[in-house]
Amino acid sequence: MDGAKVTPGRTAGLYAGAAVLRLAICTLLPQLPDLLTGRVEISTPVTSFKRLQEGLFLYNHNVSPYDGGVYHQAPLFLPLFSLLPDFSSLPIFTYLLYIAADLLSARALWRIVDSGEAGSSALFTSPRREKRWSGFTIAALFLFNPFTVATCLGRSTSVFTTCAILHAIAKAVSGAPFGAMVALSFASYLSMYPLLLLPPLVLLSYDRQRPERATKSALKFAATCVFVVAGVLAVLFQMSYLVTGSWEFLPSTYGVQLTLSDLTPNVGLWWYFFVEMFDSFRSFFLAVFWLHLASYVGGLTIRIRRQPLVVLTLLLGIFGIFKPYPSISDTSLFLALVPLYRHVFPLMRYTFVIAAVILYATFLGPAFYHLWIYAGSGNANFFYAITLVWGLGQSLLVCDLMFAVLRDEWEVERPEMVGKEIRQI
Amino acid sequence: MRPWPDRRDGERWVNFCRSFALAADYYERLNLRPLPLSALLASFNFRSNTTVSEFEKGNFRFFPRSLGQILQHAGTRELHLRFSLGRWDAESWGARPWNGAREGGTGVELWAWLEADTDEEADHKWLILTNALSGLFCASLNFIDGTRTTRPVMSFQPQGDHSTVTNMHLLYGVLPHEVVCTENLTPFLKLLPCKGKAGIASLLDGHKLFDASWQTMAIDVRPICSPGQECVLQIEQTIDMVLDIDRSKRPRDNPIPRSPPADQLPCDTSKPYHSHDACFPADHTANQDWSLSQIFGKPMRGTCPLTDSSIPPVCLHVPDSRDVFVSEGVHEKKNSDQVCRCYEIPPSADFEMALPKPDDSADPTTTAIVNPETPLLYAERSFTGHGQERGGVQTILRNPSPDTDVEFVYMETLPWFMRIYLHTLEARVAGGSRTNNSTTKLIQQVYYRPAVDRARGTQLEVRMRVPPASTVFLTYDFEKSILRYTEYPPDANRGFDVAAAVITVINPLQRSNTEEGEDGTAAGGSGSSGRVAAYTLRTTSLLCSLPTPDFSMPYNVIIFTSTAIALAFGGVFNILVRRFVAADEGPEAGLAIVLERVKGKLAGLVKKGVSM
Repeated sequence: MDGAKVTPGRTAGLYAGAAVLRLAICTLLPQLPDLLTGRVEISTPVTSFKRLQEGLFLYNHNVSPYDGGVYHQAPLFLPLFSLLPDFSSLPIFTYLLYIAADLLSARALWRIVDSGEAGSSALFTSPRREKRWSGFTIAALFLFNPFTVATCLGRSTSVFTTCAILHAIAKAVSGAPFGAMVALSFASYLSMYPLLLLPPLVLLSYDRQRPERATKSALKFAATCVFVVAGVLAVLFQMSYLVTGSWEFLPSTYGVQLTLSDLTPNVGLWWYFFVEMFDSFRSFFLAVFWLHLASYVGGLTIRIRRQPLVVLTLLLGIFGIFKPYPSISDTSLFLALVPLYRHVFPLMRYTFVIAAVILYATFLGPAFYHLWIYAGSGNANFFYAITLVWGLGQSLLVCDLMFAVLRDEWEVERPEMVGKEIRQI
Repeated sequence: MRPWPDRRDGERWVNFCRSFALAADYYERLNLRPLPLSALLASFNFRSNTTVSEFEKGNFRFFPRSLGQILQHAGTRELHLRFSLGRWDAESWGARPWNGAREGGTGVELWAWLEADTDEEADHKWLILTNALSGLFCASLNFIDGTRTTRPVMSFQPQGDHSTVTNMHLLYGVLPHEVVCTENLTPFLKLLPCKGKAGIASLLDGHKLFDASWQTMAIDVRPICSPGQECVLQIEQTIDMVLDIDRSKRPRDNPIPRSPPADQLPCDTSKPYHSHDACFPADHTANQDWSLSQIFGKPMRGTCPLTDSSIPPVCLHVPDSRDVFVSEGVHEKKNSDQVCRCYEIPPSADFEMALPKPDDSADPTTTAIVNPETPLLYAERSFTGHGQERGGVQTILRNPSPDTDVEFVYMETLPWFMRIYLHTLEARVAGGSRTNNSTTKLIQQVYYRPAVDRARGTQLEVRMRVPPASTVFLTYDFEKSILRYTEYPPDANRGFDVAAAVITVINPLQRSNTEEGEDGTAAGGSGSSGRVAAYTLRTTSLLCSLPTPDFSMPYNVIIFTSTAIALAFGGVFNILVRRFVAADEGPEAGLAIVLERVKGKLAGLVKKGVSM
């Protein structure tokens, strides 16, 4: 598609454009970032910037932020944001930090594209791989995606998780397993759920090892990776312990995600389910929901063994639907990786339906939320219904992409079937 | 307007209207004080003493046994219980009775000092105490659980003498939703030695008490030691009520509320637009004629024989210039300050008192009633913002004094589902600019204990100072959380009551002590009174509406969500486990196959039938 040579000037122009767009919105519409911070679609209890500010305020006044029901984010954010000048007087530094995180994510995404892993992995080469978008286009799609821009302006801390996940993948495809594992540990430390990405990421790193220092034994390689992740996480927890002075951050950050004690509405499926759940079945369904979330990892990793990057992409899509506190930030991460599979887009069957459903939910979600919370003319079911539609739309996209990728694999064995009707038995 | 030191002038006089000696075993007093706008403050005070040694032996005498045994069982050293209803209109009624020391926020309030070695033991004793009191007073005090219990740090100080006890824990619980009613009054009266059969308590009647514009019932138990005497345990029961005179008189002569004919409307004739068809309602001060039986529905039945007969049981706070008619045999004693008189009543005769209409010739505002005192501080609290997602709380604090500033502790106990953002706490003087500087200048100290979901409420105590003749806005933001559907009350859309904020004005004399670095732990160390607040006031309670789910939906939600998950999981599973084949390959499937099979079976059956 984008055959033009990417010059350093164009690259810088893209990044500068994205940064200028974000800065311009903050300065010209100073009310907008605060409005976005308050939106439930962007800020969840575990990523909200307002809650981060409260945690920071308590931390700076020697009250443990974890001895309360407001702050559920990683402890190392506290010293990080304490280093920045006070947000209320000099907000620009905070914005710059978030913009930098976004640009770093775009850079990592670019490297993933440039590696060509999406079209030809170690074990599989797609016959259609020539048809692809350049790193420039995909980075631009990510940086100018309204979901990404809104997340950045809303200063949700999921921006940092996104950055860490993309860096983990970028490190893995560029043959740096250690860096990948460290980045994944950071992502897991910040949000916990990225830990489920470990199996496909280990496979991806294993496949893309540099030949000169490759470990032959897959088992040994996996053990090393797990060891690295565990080690880095242990170091991070120890640092958190030193920062906060106690272990009470564990139940308050990860425990909240496991038990869903904060039922603030979000775009996911959990909150209303557990608002309405009978008390005696609450723990059972919590376990079921978590098992369900984890169950995809094994199946996808095994079935799509030849393309670990696809597994990572699909898992990120599934997490964006089924994790306890999803937001549009998770969707933006998934949508950032989907264009890597430009070559299988023609094999997808429901592109129009998917696009329509996602747009429908995007526009109707805020409207229905307003009807429920502010106008009082709707009730909770309005917003719940739209989150269902949103979830279904995304799961349709995940399924369709998976179908397209598998059909692409299948057509390598059956080249004569290109363009023919098929069915599954 | 009088700054507060003048208030202490009264101590120099021999004064009938003041509360009497501690030595008496039982004492009761009714203070009646007409207020502006045809209101009447009736303040009932009952006090019983028992020595600590007698109390420990179980000789309760005037001390109610039921309560005494609860206190002994729960290791309670000092107890304060409040049942309140309505709003004290400080703008028209002035300073609160007892300087606010005997009132509570709307609903039920309880705070106590318990003797315990550890926090857990204190919690356990608190649980015993609240459950026992719940039974004794027919109130839902047993609902004071961990989420409604706080341990105030700056706001409350013990009023009794606890010099011998070192391990005291203060616990404070409040039930703003509790509706105070007759079933709470009955056990309250039962605690009195005369049980509401004689004396001033015979005037108390649920219909009148709970019809008042504002009423508060208080029970205070505290040990008091005077030098050279044995310490006594004192129980003081107080009922303050502000009656609307017009409303109280209505049932007698006009049982159905209807507007009076136009020519009988009390109009303010001084208004320039006053005419036969335009009426500005007159200030009700002129309408101050009433009698005891009109107001309370019955006359007072003698005196309680257990009281000291030399202490007059009823006092009336009106200027000496006003005429008051009383029943025969009653002896009137006028106080030297010319605004108060007391009545000595024969033990077994009914007591009736009537105030005629004040003399119209004189200026009614100066002669009819005693002008109320200006309180040290006015406070109003309200919600800001709209919608059920987030909001703010704004408290307007006004210092009426022209020359002295007021220092006070502002305490909020908020339910856990109001998630407050302390970083938005801001104080600014009205008309001043919104800067950080103003906040740090006005707020001197903050004690904050954040809420934990489903386990603990927010406790916020702010020590701040309001400069003279200025108004301060104290604001903060909060977020409303959505609850599990079983956690909503049956009337979920009514909203949730938020307890009144307690404002304790720090006594300026002791203010200097605290600033020298004395911390609050020295409570009760010297003197009998401890550190008494100069003035206490409570804001009204608030009604916070939370977002509600659809309560009829649990099954539907479980089914819909499960379907969505099944669709996604099924779709993924389907693609993962099934093989691709061309449309014309592989075994036949679908409806055609099934039909074919059924046809075959049927044909087989038919054949069998034919062959038979």
